[in-house]
Amino acid sequence: MTMKKWARGLLSGALGLALAGTAQAQQEKPQYGGTLEVGTVYVTLSALSFDPADWNWKLNHDTGQFYEQLFAADLSQSKRNGGKYPFYADAWLPSDAIRGELAEKWVWSDNPLKLTIDLRKGVMFPEKPGVMKERELTAEDVVFAFNRLVNSPKKIAGYFDHVEKVEATGKYTVVFTFKYFNAEWDYRFGWGYYSTITPKEVADAGATNWKNVNGTGPFTLSDFVQGSSNTYSKNPIYWDKEKIDGVEYKLPFLDKVVYRTIKDEATYLTALRTAKLDLLENIRWSAADDLKKTTPQLKWSRWLSMSGQFLAMRVDTKPFDDIRVRRALNMAVNKQEIVKAYYGGNAELFAYPQHPDYLGYFEPLEAMPESVRELYTYNPDKAKKLLAEAGFPKGFSFKVQVCSCNPDHMDLLPLVSAYLEAVGVKLEIQPMEYAAFLSAMTTKTNAPGYFMNNGHTNPTTTIRKSFVTKEVWNPSQYSDPAFDKKVADMYLERDEAKRQVMIKALTREILEKTPYIWLPTPYIYTAWWPWVKGYNGELRAGAVRPGPIYARMWVDQDLKKKMGK
Amino acid sequence: MQAYIVRRVLALIPTLFFASLIVFVTVRMIPGDVIDLMLSQNDIGASKMGREQLEQALGLDQPMWLQYGRWVGAILFQGDFGRSLWQNTPVSEQLLQRLPVTFELGLMALIVGLSVAIPIGVYSAIRQDTPGDYVARSFSILMLAVPSFWLGTMVMVFPSIWWGWSPPIQFVPFSKDPWGNLSQMIIPSIILGCALSAITMRLTRTMMLEVLRQDFIRTAWAKGLGERLVVARHALRNALIPVVTLIGLQAPLLIGGAVIMEQIFVIPGMGLLLLDAVSQRDYPVITGVFLIVGVAVMVINLIVDLSYGLLDPKVRYR
Amino acid sequence: MASVAETTVAIPPRRKRGPVLHFIGRLFREKPLGAAGAVVFMLFLFCGIFADALAPYGMNQIAPLNRLKPPSWAFPFGTDNLGRDMLSRCLYGAQLSVIIGFCAAGIATVISVFLGIVSGYLGGKFDLVLQRFVDAWMSFPDLIILIVVVSVVGPGMPQIIVTLGLLLGIAGSRIIRGAVVSVRENMYVHAAQSTGASTFRILWRHILPNVMAPVIVLFTTRVGTVILAESGLSFLGLGVPPPAPTWGGLLSGSGRTFMLQGPWLALAPGLCLTIVVYATNMFGDALRDLLDPRMRGSR
Repeated sequence: MTMKKWARGLLSGALGLALAGTAQAQQEKPQYGGTLEVGTVYVTLSALSFDPADWNWKLNHDTGQFYEQLFAADLSQSKRNGGKYPFYADAWLPSDAIRGELAEKWVWSDNPLKLTIDLRKGVMFPEKPGVMKERELTAEDVVFAFNRLVNSPKKIAGYFDHVEKVEATGKYTVVFTFKYFNAEWDYRFGWGYYSTITPKEVADAGATNWKNVNGTGPFTLSDFVQGSSNTYSKNPIYWDKEKIDGVEYKLPFLDKVVYRTIKDEATYLTALRTAKLDLLENIRWSAADDLKKTTPQLKWSRWLSMSGQFLAMRVDTKPFDDIRVRRALNMAVNKQEIVKAYYGGNAELFAYPQHPDYLGYFEPLEAMPESVRELYTYNPDKAKKLLAEAGFPKGFSFKVQVCSCNPDHMDLLPLVSAYLEAVGVKLEIQPMEYAAFLSAMTTKTNAPGYFMNNGHTNPTTTIRKSFVTKEVWNPSQYSDPAFDKKVADMYLERDEAKRQVMIKALTREILEKTPYIWLPTPYIYTAWWPWVKGYNGELRAGAVRPGPIYARMWVDQDLKKKMGK
Repeated sequence: MQAYIVRRVLALIPTLFFASLIVFVTVRMIPGDVIDLMLSQNDIGASKMGREQLEQALGLDQPMWLQYGRWVGAILFQGDFGRSLWQNTPVSEQLLQRLPVTFELGLMALIVGLSVAIPIGVYSAIRQDTPGDYVARSFSILMLAVPSFWLGTMVMVFPSIWWGWSPPIQFVPFSKDPWGNLSQMIIPSIILGCALSAITMRLTRTMMLEVLRQDFIRTAWAKGLGERLVVARHALRNALIPVVTLIGLQAPLLIGGAVIMEQIFVIPGMGLLLLDAVSQRDYPVITGVFLIVGVAVMVINLIVDLSYGLLDPKVRYR
Repeated sequence: MASVAETTVAIPPRRKRGPVLHFIGRLFREKPLGAAGAVVFMLFLFCGIFADALAPYGMNQIAPLNRLKPPSWAFPFGTDNLGRDMLSRCLYGAQLSVIIGFCAAGIATVISVFLGIVSGYLGGKFDLVLQRFVDAWMSFPDLIILIVVVSVVGPGMPQIIVTLGLLLGIAGSRIIRGAVVSVRENMYVHAAQSTGASTFRILWRHILPNVMAPVIVLFTTRVGTVILAESGLSFLGLGVPPPAPTWGGLLSGSGRTFMLQGPWLALAPGLCLTIVVYATNMFGDALRDLLDPRMRGSR
């Protein structure tokens, strides 16, 4: 009797605490102020350029705090806020999680194909002494920025070919006229790599000089020490607000965000451990366990690398022109063991060419036909049989190029090589230095074997850039005119649901044709100290663009002091 | 004396010219050129037109001799080292930012090295072949035998696990915050300095041994002077002369070579600049770094040679 | 004439014991640390040459199920992240270090001797030009040259050996030249010249034997320097590429990555490297003290 009462009392007490806890969490009021020290996903790389006209892939990462774009991720749909998207993808936004950043609403019309965008009103450029006065963003700025990108000598040929012209038909109205539809229209100029809106005054003063940059974003670039740090300071007149528990807060919360550039892994892990970094976004699986032991207070998130790993086989050379040989090599590698023993379980067997985060495009291995599932099942006997059938009963040898810059690959390739040797196939490993390695691929002079990893980018690009004839990231030299046509058709398809069906079919086809030895994809970890709030591991709100995410983060300074840091 | 200086400076010029030409050409021969690297960033294949367009934008489509001529001319007449191919910012800006950092690290390492080497060397010489001598010499060589990157890693990682402390990694220029700047540089300069000290210690020791056997020292002993006076006043000065030359020999390491320390302790110096530039094939930066480093070292060597003459009255310059 | 030449041998036999044994005796008696260094050096050479016979497992025997096992009877130095036995890898590492160290040091010594002797003996304009070239070469930091050269020729053992050999060789030529300059003023050289001996004969029979002392010392210390240099290059990603188990590669690669989970991964190659470099330095020092006090603490 007493026990029951006692237990009941305990239970209600616990429940009460839990309720209070959640109530506490719900009511956690964001604090303004403080500095966030971040080791970003690209912690080892310093800013390559601040000028969009340089057409540099990393630009958004460094300028995304001050230069804004037409569209960005709708972070209210993140998992943290009860939505279903984690926002890990480096260059993909789900189509139902896009929100207008500088654009307020946009409408399509046909004959001719046009997109009319209404910009937000009252978005101000802060004053920048010597460069520009405080003024409002207008449609002219968008037109100027687009034309500046198009006319840059460093631009990627064909990137904006689908756009006929851009014009400002009103103070806040921009009209894009298209020659034809391109499924990646919003990726190309919207929220993608090359979508930055730069004002004319900055371009006139010299957009390459970081001291001149000025944008409408939540932060301004207050300091840049190349090879060491980027410092972003709060923009006091930033336009965006965030609603938390019914209260509207002006963004950003933080006074400063500092990117730390640290080349050495041991050093940046140490910096996190001693709270010199509040947040480290890129932690290798091999370091995560240790860090959890030495620093148990850290909070963690885990994401699947946005990059597929594989050994590409040149299908235009013998013996890889025979699909039996390619399938045999896939079956000869014990991929499950690689996941279990090499990665300690921190990897996924099947995550390329489509990434599991691409909801609506990704089909898991179980849903694949037997011909694909077979490739992921360890079967050295069948491999040897296929090789014999193809005319190589004693196996053969081939050269594999690998980048000596990637320590993971330098360990993984010998492991793969050991499996292949068991079926009589010998690898001649040729390590190459980074630029030489990439050059071999771009000049299409790479060896019959080419061991690399390749970013997914987004569901459409991942197929196009690696499996369409003569594309840059096609080291296997895969070339099938019928396939190319299907990809081109896919790009012209306006209906997303139909596109998804096409992409799934294309993915299955290429998996079956297997120009690569598909390998598991590792997980990567992100860790942060508990005083970093308003965050749950989100990484990008646009193509490699974390700006809006940092704008919504805040630091609990009391907690930080309490923890003695 | 002046004639000597002038002759040395004049002799520098053909050397620099020759060296810069070699570097200029070699760097462009590295497999994997910058155009390929830039184009590989894209996910759309580049047509031939794209390549040519990029080459033209970067000024790489012109014949080699013309590029070299332009480069030399720009340096001599405008002090313009060109622009980085990736950042499009002036190379001279980057060099100006990084050179003082490396110089400071080198200078501190030198001071540490000398402060460690000379006392140990002198002690070893005075107490030759005693256990003290062996211990001192062993310590010095041990500093040399442990790879600097390993020592640096241990200093960075283990205190963070044991005491929750790690060396500062935030770079602030000396002018803005001298204390913050020094606190970042002190540990890597100690590691670097100790590694360098082995060689200087050896030299100091042998020089002291030789000098201590000389007649004038024996005279000093006979006069009844105390050990400290004999060593400090008479022996040390003569023994240190070749040590000064050694500083000149170590200058290259100090100016350009502390890459490993820079990487571990997050110091934005010339070494990392070069490493990044080479992996990105940023030709103007690479050639700029080489040139500056070469000039700096030659100037240091000249100063060292001149001071050698000042220290040792027996040396005269023809 | 022949008798004049005969009397100018570098180490005249004074005792009934052979000169080499006499020398070894002196080494152990007068320079115990150097003797210890010599013993380690010989042990290193032995392990390097007979690594194939001594190693219990293969150089690259991958067994993922055995990953990161601490030292035990089966694996005296533990295993690495791919299950490879560290003792075997360190022994093969010794083999690689022996090859790289001795070859690079050898190339360096040959270059140093050649340049030093030719420049020092012939003197004049030739000497001046050559020394200016050496000046220019030495004004560039070693590591910088290495970075650029390894990027040009790509990663690989022969490339690193040749590059390191060239670098150290040119720098060392200064020392040999200094020794040659002091030797050439000697009486017997003048005597040989006055009897009309050819330049080559003089270089071969009179100059070279008398500079053998600094040459030997240079070679010995160079072996250690090369091993250290390769480890630095490995750290920067420019050394001999994996899976080659050079000590520097092991230390800067899996040694650093797994240093908290498996300290033996760093301890084993690290200790090997440090002890061998230490030993070569002590040995070289002792050699210098015994053979040629004239070498003023040069590198």
